[in-house]
Amino acid sequence: MLDEQQLNTLKALVNAIIPADDWPSGWQAGVGDYLLRQFKRDLADAAAAYAQWLTALNAEAQASCQRPFAELSLAERTRLLESIEQGQVKTAWPMDAAAFFQQIVEHCSEGFYSDPGNGGNKNGVAWDMIGFEVRG
Amino acid sequence: MSDYDAIVIGSGAGGGVAAAVLAEAGKSVLLLERGAALSFEDVGRDHLRNQRLSHYGHNAGPDIEGNPRSSDDGRVIRPHERGYQNNAACLGSGTRVYAGQAWRFMPQDFRMASIYGIPAGSSLADWPIGYEDVLPYYQKVEREIGICGDHSAMTHLPPYDQPYPMPALKLPYKSSVHRQGLKTLGWQWLRTPRLINSIPYNDRPACIHCQHCVGFACPVDAKNGSQNTAIPRALRSGNCALQTEVMVSKLALSPKGRIAGVQLVDAAGQPAVKRADVVVLSCGAVETARLLLNSATPQEPKGIGNGNGQVGRHLQGHYYPGAVGLFPQVMYDGLGPGASVATCEFNHDNDGIIGGGMLTDEDIVLPMTFWKRDYPPDTPRWGLKAKQFMRENFRRINDVKGPVQEIPHPDARVTINPKLKDRYGIPGAHLSGKTHRETVRTAAFMHHRAKEWLLASGAAKVWGQPPPQYLSGGQHQAGTCRMGEDPASSVVNPWCRVHSHDNLFIADGSVHVTNGGFNPVETIMALAWRTAEHIVKTW
Repeated sequence: MLDEQQLNTLKALVNAIIPADDWPSGWQAGVGDYLLRQFKRDLADAAAAYAQWLTALNAEAQASCQRPFAELSLAERTRLLESIEQGQVKTAWPMDAAAFFQQIVEHCSEGFYSDPGNGGNKNGVAWDMIGFEVRG
Repeated sequence: MSDYDAIVIGSGAGGGVAAAVLAEAGKSVLLLERGAALSFEDVGRDHLRNQRLSHYGHNAGPDIEGNPRSSDDGRVIRPHERGYQNNAACLGSGTRVYAGQAWRFMPQDFRMASIYGIPAGSSLADWPIGYEDVLPYYQKVEREIGICGDHSAMTHLPPYDQPYPMPALKLPYKSSVHRQGLKTLGWQWLRTPRLINSIPYNDRPACIHCQHCVGFACPVDAKNGSQNTAIPRALRSGNCALQTEVMVSKLALSPKGRIAGVQLVDAAGQPAVKRADVVVLSCGAVETARLLLNSATPQEPKGIGNGNGQVGRHLQGHYYPGAVGLFPQVMYDGLGPGASVATCEFNHDNDGIIGGGMLTDEDIVLPMTFWKRDYPPDTPRWGLKAKQFMRENFRRINDVKGPVQEIPHPDARVTINPKLKDRYGIPGAHLSGKTHRETVRTAAFMHHRAKEWLLASGAAKVWGQPPPQYLSGGQHQAGTCRMGEDPASSVVNPWCRVHSHDNLFIADGSVHVTNGGFNPVETIMALAWRTAEHIVKTW
């Protein structure tokens, strides 16, 4: 589904969309597990596009910062993604980079804030963070 | 020779009550449901697949595959997708997973055309019956199905003769804030009435105020739906047989064109015919119209009851305008179901507006639904700022909203798409048209009232947009077999009998001429009661 480099890029991407602070990062909270599971289910049609987008993101990182995306600092990743979000890219993308990024943000948030039964939000950590308690 | 006295098709709000009243009167009844009986675990608590947020699927049917509908833009729509106008398909239908807001319509809601005139292009009409005709059945539903509330605060209605049998639910903290806002504005304040046990009632326990009420099943069975009230009553009478997971493909008719029963297909794909003296349709506004249209005969080539082309028209539901506000204090205390205070200040008597709607605070919004629907538009959705925003404000953000009385349009309608077949090979429903533009105007008006309320309650910031014009139906779907005296402009008579047949009745939202500015379930149950009682009395 994703090669090793794409997977590393995805991990760095998820952790820029939901970075660690006093609370776990997206990847630590299981967003990766959510996405990999969804690539076989509801997002099966989007999995190939994800792989392409991640490869293009890496190329963009090389063009901008001369390093793979996964090796950039959080500040560098954030700046790069903000540029992509605004449609400012240096390389040729196989799709609308900004529009697909918006979808990725939504999918990552699904993994983080939905019920743990979907594979992310391990032990309800995101719910603990925002104060959504399940009683009864 | 009939197999049953009566067959009731569909086990939702209308079908459950109809089956109970007929069976308790001694009639032998066959109650049919296309969905399954779902346990609490079957319904589950999937935050991405439920009746409130059906992003990737549903939790209460119909199945995503094999139940297509189509729309004017050429789309084939699956049940969880936008524009399907879905209602749950399971024992109890929507009442299995609703949050049970239980409202009487107002006397004015039955006389919309007389009060406001008929806007150009609309099919607005009066009901052939009035509030006083439905009132005894509202009272039966409140007492026997079980509604909690405070009757003395329902000042928008004629005074109640009897209180609700249960006091209103415990108030969450946020309701004190919203109540203060209403007081500041001088708007009416009342307690949101519910088909929920606030105290033990009908041998089931009281609500435990969980966080998963709307869109899910109740963990302690304190929500009063057809599946745990009317249907058990029907079964206890010994006169009702229940079959789930059977789909009625057509009405069965005698060679002379008289209703003789139903043709059905069971879960294994086996067809069968069941005969009865009376048939009651309770499939919801889309599926009831579909069944009538799919049952065309040489005598009625355009569909049963459709000699004047009225079946399937005037499809309506509820626009739900509202607004979201960020409060300086924590509003959330986790006390479900959530919606607790309401105002009917704007259901009628609004300058330059036809009708209006009710406003109430919202049931607990799940984190994912909040992120997709209530998140402020000018706030980043990713990065540390987004994460911190969720952490600091999920419990401070709160919304108010409510159903708008829609102005019906004759071209908002259900027809049959002969090329579109469901899993049984039965032609599917095609949905077309839009609501009347006056609905959009009323919704914009109510959107601004929602913002005023939030600001008066102390919100530091409010957001949200008035809704655009679209085809409305959804869980509150209604209007497709409207009631009337004149067969030229209606499908059923004032007793909800199909004009062209003496033994075919409808007991669901289809018969509503207009749909009130309220959740319609109490009216659907009350009318089903009235219709079934009439069937028994005139048998």
